[in-house]
Amino acid sequence: MDHKAPIHEFFGLSFNLSNVLMITVASIIVFIIAVLGARTLAMKPTGMQNFVEWIIDFVKGIIGSNMDWKTGGRFLFLGATLLMYIFVSNMLGLPFAVVVDHTLWWKSPTADPGIALTLAAMVVVLTHYYGIKMKGVAEYGRDYFRPLPLLFPLKIIEEFANTLTLGLRLYGNIFAGEILLGLLAGLSASGVFGILGGAIPMLLWQGFSLFVGTIQAFIFTMLTMVYMAHKVTKDH
Amino acid sequence: MNLIAAAIAIGLGALGAGIGNGLIVSRTVEGVARQPEAQGKLQTIMFIGVALVEALPIIAVVMAFIFQGQ
Repeated sequence: MDHKAPIHEFFGLSFNLSNVLMITVASIIVFIIAVLGARTLAMKPTGMQNFVEWIIDFVKGIIGSNMDWKTGGRFLFLGATLLMYIFVSNMLGLPFAVVVDHTLWWKSPTADPGIALTLAAMVVVLTHYYGIKMKGVAEYGRDYFRPLPLLFPLKIIEEFANTLTLGLRLYGNIFAGEILLGLLAGLSASGVFGILGGAIPMLLWQGFSLFVGTIQAFIFTMLTMVYMAHKVTKDH
Repeated sequence: MNLIAAAIAIGLGALGAGIGNGLIVSRTVEGVARQPEAQGKLQTIMFIGVALVEALPIIAVVMAFIFQGQ
């Protein structure tokens, strides 16, 4: 918890090199999974292709439960990328964390508030972009006054609240999990009674963190599609 | 002072999360008991509901760690 972050300045901007490293690792892993899944495509999928097809099907289900396929189909790869990237990011911090003299280098990238909030902000900006692109500016503007024009300030606040909660939900879950993993690892490293007392909670907490990481990736993708559906389809 | 703030934050957050999740899961169990074929859909909605309700208590946990660290 009191680990420093390796922050370096390039051209007047400060970069957290640990974030840069972890984002690169997550991107490479997702890229490898995707490339391996699409190598030799067969009509009857086996192995890796089966797994990636299952992911695509799962995202299709998420989109289908929010919008009709004609408007929603274009978001399939956005959803699949978000799901895989956030899932891999959440899992990276579970096996170990690497601290090199008081600076934390290896962690989940989503355990950093900047990264989680950037993902959320990008998603909300994308919903506005697609709202304007698919409905036109006039219709997009009029949607703020439906169903009741009185609720306009609430709709504005809703945009900011959605962004904040989307990002902070992901950050909070993964960060709190990592802190507890660190505490349990410290307990297990502090002598024989530490190992006896800390082994089972460590196992349980690792399992629970796996579950939470998966659920948070699913929730992020699901809420992305829900917000997209609010902006892009006409209900009422 | 910081520790008291952290304790209040986590305590109230846990209270809210516990009550909220309890309500959600109890209704889900009731729904599945009435109609066992709907278990898949109801379970999915339950997980979404739990994640939404737990968002703010989790933010309270993070703030408690921040208070405690200062």
